[in-house]
Amino acid sequence: MSRLVPLITSVCRGVLWRRGCPGVSPSLNPLPGLTWVPAAGKKDLVDLPVLDEDELEEQFVRGSGPGGQATNKTSNCVVLKHVPTGIVVKCHQTRSVEINRKRARGIMREKLDVAYKGELSELIVKKKESVHKKQEKKKKAHENLERKRLFKEALVTESTHE
Amino acid sequence: MWRRSLGAGCRLFGCRSAVPQGIWGSSAVRACSAPVLPALSITALQAMDSWRKHFEERGVPEPEESSHYIMAHLFGAKTIQSVEQGKLTEFLSREETEQMWKLCTRRLSRMPVQYVIEEWDFRDLTLKMRPPVFIPRPETEELVELVLTDLETMCGTEDALDALHTCVEVGCGSGAISLSLLRSRPQLKAIAVDQSQQAVDLTRENALRLGLQDRLQIHHIDVMKDPEAALSLCTRASALVSNPPYLFSEDMSKLEPEILRFEDPSALDGGEDGLNVIKQILTMAPKILSDHGRAYLEVDPRHPSLIQQWVEVNVKELRYVETRHDITGRPRFCILQKRELIQGPRVGSGLRN
Repeated sequence: MSRLVPLITSVCRGVLWRRGCPGVSPSLNPLPGLTWVPAAGKKDLVDLPVLDEDELEEQFVRGSGPGGQATNKTSNCVVLKHVPTGIVVKCHQTRSVEINRKRARGIMREKLDVAYKGELSELIVKKKESVHKKQEKKKKAHENLERKRLFKEALVTESTHE
Repeated sequence: MWRRSLGAGCRLFGCRSAVPQGIWGSSAVRACSAPVLPALSITALQAMDSWRKHFEERGVPEPEESSHYIMAHLFGAKTIQSVEQGKLTEFLSREETEQMWKLCTRRLSRMPVQYVIEEWDFRDLTLKMRPPVFIPRPETEELVELVLTDLETMCGTEDALDALHTCVEVGCGSGAISLSLLRSRPQLKAIAVDQSQQAVDLTRENALRLGLQDRLQIHHIDVMKDPEAALSLCTRASALVSNPPYLFSEDMSKLEPEILRFEDPSALDGGEDGLNVIKQILTMAPKILSDHGRAYLEVDPRHPSLIQQWVEVNVKELRYVETRHDITGRPRFCILQKRELIQGPRVGSGLRN
């Protein structure tokens, strides 16, 4: 049974956001070209993050009526939103909605990859910063101890010389 | 050609600005409907912009998309985004300008873009379009996905068992569904029928263009008037697919001009409750399908529960499997399965899932 639930219905445009779409099958090649050919291209699709359809909201404007046979429109723009990150991908590259949906997912995977990498490098920088801070703290603590020791020594030396 | 700004040539566009309203009146202005060709050279961008405005003024829906698709088609492209940007700022030749004007003028009469450019895409296929044969809708692309997913589950991915699979389509129109299935499943065979000779002809034409004619049989049959003719074609189909006319008769008159004026009403009108053809197909289904074969229908969002109830009472050989939703979240697809026939001394003839 379908897991789909229309989340928001806008009265004036009849737009329905759809959560997850298990119907999207891999039988169509959405990105003819580099990314789908294992040997060629800079990025193997295997490296890109896998999409969880439950985290996606998809929008395709079809009017407020019953759609289907009752409507004939050429608009086939698909808007895909990744809820956890808020990343939105729009695709109207082809005249087929199905292919646009698949391409949107391909683009989403690439964007998520960049976003995660971005987070990853941020984490690394933060880690480096905290390590550096710790080192600085240690250094200062050590310097303070050294200063105190020298001070004490100086006092002792003074007193012995008096 | 003299290079002048578009503004200088504007006076020649359309009649509205040129004809003094007071003398001629608004009806006369509307009568001279086709915008005249520009006297001066224009670029593709200017032509598209100009026509977008004409469409807007005349209340033609999707004014921008229409001008874009028509211009792209002129350049041999499918979308305007795929046309090299530089080309759009070059001047159009006289022929290109004339062609753009000719095609866009058709759109002014509310002819669907798909008929204006005489083609459209359905999944990974480009199909020829011709009025009044029904133009495939985007929802129907999902119907094909459903069938393909099930076929894959049934017989694994592309192995020898595929050769035994036949799929029957009722109401093939331009051939979108059958041809899509055949393209995706190289071992599949299909039988398609339509009550319209024009649809049969167009499907045949598309099959030839795609090189799929060897695996597709097309027959001119009206399943409402002559169901027996269809039943004699196939008795062991793995799948029965249809996007049958499912609109309610009372809703026909509310359809947009694109549909009312140009598409075959018999491809749309399903009768008072929109179920006439659907019921007929489901009645025929057990005779067409093999055991465990499935029927896949695209329907009106109000239909699924009605169909489930009706089948339970009237077509006991069919089990209602599930309702699937389309991309807009509307209940759109019904999947049913033929129950296996059991025969034996104890049970007698009966049905088993």
